[in-house]
Amino acid sequence: MSVLETKDLTMSYGSRRGIQNVSLQVESGEIFGFLGPNGAGKSTTIRILMGLLRASSGQAQIFGLDCWRNGAQIRREVGYVAGDVRMYPWLTLNRGLKIVSQIHGRCLQAEGQQLADRFRLEPDLPVRKMSRGNRQKVALVLALAIRPRLLVLDEPTSGLDPLMQDTLMVCLRELAAEGRTILFSSHTLSEVESLCDRIAMIRGGSIVEQDSLSSLKVKAPRRIQIQLSPDQQAPDCWPAGVRVLWQPSHATGLPPLQASQHHLLSIPPGQLSQTCLLELTGGSGEFLHWVTRQGFADVSIGAPSLEILFRSCYAVDSEQAGAKT
Amino acid sequence: MRGLLSKILAEVLWPVLWFCLGLFLIMGLLTALLPKVLGNIHEVFDNMPLVKPLITALLGVDPGNQISAQLSQAFLWTHPTLLTLLWAHELMYCSRMPAGEIDRGTADFLLCQPVTRLQIFLAESIGWIVSGVVILCCGCAGHLTASGFVHPEMRLPVSSGLLVLSNLAAVYLAVGGLAFLLSACSDRRGRAVGIVFAILLLSFLLNFLAQFQEWVKTVSWLSIMEYYRPAIVIQSDQFPQSDVLTLLGLGALCWTTALVIFHRRSICTV
Repeated sequence: MSVLETKDLTMSYGSRRGIQNVSLQVESGEIFGFLGPNGAGKSTTIRILMGLLRASSGQAQIFGLDCWRNGAQIRREVGYVAGDVRMYPWLTLNRGLKIVSQIHGRCLQAEGQQLADRFRLEPDLPVRKMSRGNRQKVALVLALAIRPRLLVLDEPTSGLDPLMQDTLMVCLRELAAEGRTILFSSHTLSEVESLCDRIAMIRGGSIVEQDSLSSLKVKAPRRIQIQLSPDQQAPDCWPAGVRVLWQPSHATGLPPLQASQHHLLSIPPGQLSQTCLLELTGGSGEFLHWVTRQGFADVSIGAPSLEILFRSCYAVDSEQAGAKT
Repeated sequence: MRGLLSKILAEVLWPVLWFCLGLFLIMGLLTALLPKVLGNIHEVFDNMPLVKPLITALLGVDPGNQISAQLSQAFLWTHPTLLTLLWAHELMYCSRMPAGEIDRGTADFLLCQPVTRLQIFLAESIGWIVSGVVILCCGCAGHLTASGFVHPEMRLPVSSGLLVLSNLAAVYLAVGGLAFLLSACSDRRGRAVGIVFAILLLSFLLNFLAQFQEWVKTVSWLSIMEYYRPAIVIQSDQFPQSDVLTLLGLGALCWTTALVIFHRRSICTV
């Protein structure tokens, strides 16, 4: 049985877009990445899972129990850190641990103290005197201290410095090694890529990809940079699977002020007139066969990159938003 | 539930203590000073004609040209300072959850604990009632302490005091229930507080205008103050059954509706 499962989960905020037909499945012991640009519906999905929001239709279950009806029972074994952590100004870590211990009916002080040491957190400093990063740490310690079966983290690294991000990643790997399940929501691909076993990408309120990291990497496009010979013109026709991001004399593909300009940052300005920038989706055999016959000065082919896949999702979302305005 | 009560205690302990101290001092001061002030009230009535309808509106009965010891006691229990302090506590307390929690974004932390919304609401309600009892007791303590220093005639008999206090407690429950209801419907604490404040102000206004305008009397039953008449209670020395029942009914209806709304609604802090 899946630890977490949603089926055709739909919710809207009045006229505002929420999520549509979101179906997810997270297995026990998995670190599941939930990726998407800002406003894509990650937090809405998580809030439905945590019983804060009521879905218009569809099912959301954790441990086989309905998230809305059995919320309190589910949350006994779920730790949650919200995206934008807000805590009571009077709360200290010790006080928080005391309250959470009383609610859970077991003492969490020792576990909390250990985590506080790892995250270098002052246990008696009130939240009102803390920086954003420290508030984030308090929320993390309180969520981790209960040793949850399922940990739901909504952009947990925002506000943490790189060292603390590393500490968190180590903690999460330890939890996963103990067989605990983690739902890790983020819009930062690198941390998801380094941590997660499987990934779902959400865009515009709908899941656009859901697969293991290795499978997604196969699907992900490669970035190819071609250096033309001094008198060479860019080819008129490219092989199948190639998307031209830039070629001398004209730009194609994405609108110039969005993704295409970002791609051009990797090319030195002086070389723009002699460089083609491509994205290749699928196998590279046919392309390699084609490229050897072209007489290019240089060709560099990158590894399949999830970042490109993610950015292509994001770009479509931005285009849609742009079209609406 | 213990954890929730600890959280509430940590949050409201100091404000409640300040309200207790405030009410203790105010009731003590009013008990000591009112007989002196009201002894010469006929001069005030002569010089400032608007004062009389104002006092009539507060007491619910015409004081005539002299205010008796009984009426002076009634004036103590309807004094705007007393009501303001009591209602300020209620507005502060009852708007904390869920409106206040949503407003400051802490609802995520609270609602993601393994507790039902019913438990959260019950814990808040226990805190509300206990804090109300403590504050009212402090007010009474202030009054009793100062009573020792005034003329025996000015002291309110225990039975009358309890009757007035029960009526005031019913007002407390009605206003709190209303505040809970508006808090449950709102994502903004300021909005919830503002609406309850406006309703209370309107109650006062209706009560006041009913002294001058006959047509206002036909709608004065809408005013909460219509059901809080310490002067009549003290004069008759009878339990204001219908007033208390009306206030308790209003309070119970608002509280139950608030619970249902809070239990069913989606809560979004972003």
